[in-house]
Amino acid sequence: MKTWRRLAIPYLIWGTGMLLLPMLLIVFYSLIQPGNEVTTFRFTLDNYIRFFTDPDFLLILWRSLTIAIETTAICLLLGYPIAYWISRCSKKTQNLMVLAITLPMWINMLVRTYAWIGILSKGGPLSIVLSWFGIKDAEILYTQAAVLIGMVYNYLPYMILQIHSSLTKMDPSLEEAASDLGASPFQTFWRVTFPLSIPGVISGITLVFLPAISAFFIPKLLGGGGWFLIGNVIENQFITVGEWNFGSAISVIMAMIMMLLMSLVRKADRKASQKEKNA
Amino acid sequence: MKKKRPVGMIMTILTIIFFYLPIVFMVVFSFNSSKSLTSFTGFSMRWYAQMFASHDMMDSLYVTIVIAVLATLISTIIGTLTAIGLNYSRKLVKAYVIQINDLPMMNPDIVTAIGLMLLFITFHIERGFMTLLLAHIAFCIPYVMLSVTPKIRQLDPNLADAAMDLGATPFQTLTKVIVPEIMPGVVSGALIAFTMSFDDFIISYFATGKGVKNLSIMVYTMAKRVNPSINAISTLLVLLITVILLLVNIIPVIRQKIARKREADPDYVPKATNHSARNITIGSIIAAMALLLVFFRPDGGSQAFAGQTLHLYLPGEYISDEMLAGFEEQTGAQVIVDNFDSNEQMYIKVANGEAFDVLIPSDYMIQRLIQEDLLTKLDPTKVDEALVQLDDKVLNLAYDPGNQYSVPYFWGTVGIVYDKEKVPLEDLEREGWAIFQDPKYKGDIFMYDSERDQFMTALKNLGYSMNTDNEQELQAAYDWLAQVGTTMEPEIVTDEIIDHMANARKALGLIYSGDATYVIQENDQMGYFLPNEGTNLWTDAMCIPKSAPNPELAYAFINYAAGYEAQMLNSSYVGYTATNKEAEEELANTEFAGIDSYIPRTGYANDEVFEYNAKARKIIADLWSRIKVVISNAN
Repeated sequence: MKTWRRLAIPYLIWGTGMLLLPMLLIVFYSLIQPGNEVTTFRFTLDNYIRFFTDPDFLLILWRSLTIAIETTAICLLLGYPIAYWISRCSKKTQNLMVLAITLPMWINMLVRTYAWIGILSKGGPLSIVLSWFGIKDAEILYTQAAVLIGMVYNYLPYMILQIHSSLTKMDPSLEEAASDLGASPFQTFWRVTFPLSIPGVISGITLVFLPAISAFFIPKLLGGGGWFLIGNVIENQFITVGEWNFGSAISVIMAMIMMLLMSLVRKADRKASQKEKNA
Repeated sequence: MKKKRPVGMIMTILTIIFFYLPIVFMVVFSFNSSKSLTSFTGFSMRWYAQMFASHDMMDSLYVTIVIAVLATLISTIIGTLTAIGLNYSRKLVKAYVIQINDLPMMNPDIVTAIGLMLLFITFHIERGFMTLLLAHIAFCIPYVMLSVTPKIRQLDPNLADAAMDLGATPFQTLTKVIVPEIMPGVVSGALIAFTMSFDDFIISYFATGKGVKNLSIMVYTMAKRVNPSINAISTLLVLLITVILLLVNIIPVIRQKIARKREADPDYVPKATNHSARNITIGSIIAAMALLLVFFRPDGGSQAFAGQTLHLYLPGEYISDEMLAGFEEQTGAQVIVDNFDSNEQMYIKVANGEAFDVLIPSDYMIQRLIQEDLLTKLDPTKVDEALVQLDDKVLNLAYDPGNQYSVPYFWGTVGIVYDKEKVPLEDLEREGWAIFQDPKYKGDIFMYDSERDQFMTALKNLGYSMNTDNEQELQAAYDWLAQVGTTMEPEIVTDEIIDHMANARKALGLIYSGDATYVIQENDQMGYFLPNEGTNLWTDAMCIPKSAPNPELAYAFINYAAGYEAQMLNSSYVGYTATNKEAEEELANTEFAGIDSYIPRTGYANDEVFEYNAKARKIIADLWSRIKVVISNAN
């Protein structure tokens, strides 16, 4: 059906211009000297060297990685049991729960994060609750805890929904077979259910880790001004300092790290599923 | 046999409470009678009134909805057609499209965002509404295709052939056979696109310009100050989305019930399925929104500039809504305001071709803009009337001799705001700017995210000129600031300092005199101190960039904003010192009587005015961005 093929042609042009070209431009800008025009430029690795030779920038990259990993770990630890519990409910309850979790996601992320400012600040509901436990005048706002709460709050739904959908796709007779063959509930879970839910876990991790590492408005709103992560450094380079070459280099570095980590995760996933097949 | 799992249930319930807590909190506090975000003092609708009166908020709501509707429509159509086309394309083409579609989905948003920003800048496409829309379409299409493609794969490959064999044209085949079959995928694709667009912040933030803001950007820029109308607009949003979701989910159910009843009727041909009902619902919602938008936009009247638009670019919290409304009423023009955090941020946008009609930067930045030939030389006959009303002290200064390029708007000093109960005046007098290094106040200070002003404090304390371009002196200042950063646990703020100090959150901070005036007016426990080492005596002035699309309207604005009434409104609203002599004197004796920060210190030998110096600028910019990194790492 050659006629239909033509329908895809406009998008080939559009996609190349609006999706591929911007990425190439970032790489291009990261490799040229500041102040160069597109017409007269000189390639250099200075922007990368500057980043990797500066312990302060490396430290901030490390901190961003740590907090993204912490966020992902918390989301996984909370998200898995919740998704598991939901997947064991009746169809009706499941739909209701999924709706309850999806609904808040329809409301603007910035707005929901902004609401946390009031909850976390001194004299707010959280500090009142903490004062019942003898912790007086606690101020959580503008601390690492606040940033973590904000991240988990924003990204946990993705984790729950991904794991839940992989758990419900599973053939229930597999679990029955396992227990019929004498597996304990724990064995059934660990040897059958969990391995089968790994694709959901993987996509959950991706959906949490990806935005968490580049987050910049959550640290800015809840962490205060003294709470830079790598996303804030990039924003700062583009919006305030105006050094796009350096900013582009940092973005490329971040994108590379992301890809590396993601391919590792996927490799682990593939290995796990291969093992499954061999077993 | 189902087992009960109480732990899972408790966790789930707690988590759902966690998800709804901020939303409930937001809704409750939108009805609070006081400004506080933590204690509920009584029921009131004042924040809703303020929201509807606020220019920025209504505009951003409008932009958000228009962009989301347009981006959804366009990306759904393109995405669906492309997905159909791809199904019949060669493998290589398919693989290519999947690869490029993965780019925005697999990359952090910020990378996609700066890629688009660089694209627009490199090809000199002026950022604004159009670029915002293009960006949204760009990141929505991959999601549409992701949800349409599986449905197309499920199609019987012979379906299209059959239709054409029976005499359907390709267009008929497409609209009558293929599209109806894949409709569920198209609808869910459209829904995803709508949510993505409605919710987007990061990509919009980098792709937009000229003050075109969506809700997220508006919240991001406004969140620096305590502003319960953000809660009000959020509540409105919650309401809107709940209604849409209810309609989308409930109407098909009702229709299905009606359809089932009709099935009993022998003449009834069952064709209305769940999905087409859903489409009708979505279609009618979009139509309703479009209607709403028509009502939203009042057209201009018969005034001189009716129907025209003024793009104004100024620091945050620098103008009163009432004053803007007055100007709009007088001229019939509409003002679109964009805010910047720092002069440097403003420069980047203006130098990269974003076209504003009026800018309000500071002295040294005006000097730079003049040097780089970015400002229009003002026509003296059009600004003379404005200039004669101003205080002599702000006219004819070194950055713009004879005021050929600029008309002063506000002026003031930079000083220390301090809590009189925590900081004795002797400490300030003895230590001057070095009080920021006094271990007594560790963890109790604010630094201000303005590179030149922060460097000024260090340079002055070290006994250098704040206009130095000597590398050793600047390095010494960097070390001075880095020491504050690593040993004093400072918090870096911009406008947030105003509410923080008004609530006495910390003992002291670096502040502009105008913000100090506001703080002291709110809380008289606060004081303002100017160190003996000297400070920055600054002027912010209105100028017209060369790229201004509407210079005549810009002149009208400058004249209006320099006038007595406008300056009274602006100055009493934000606390900055008026440049209009009459307004300045009146406010100094009435509203701001006894607040010494309102009257700038003039004629003091150690005080200086910033000058622009390209070499110093570059060094300071680099060092300051490092300081911020160092401070974050120390925390």
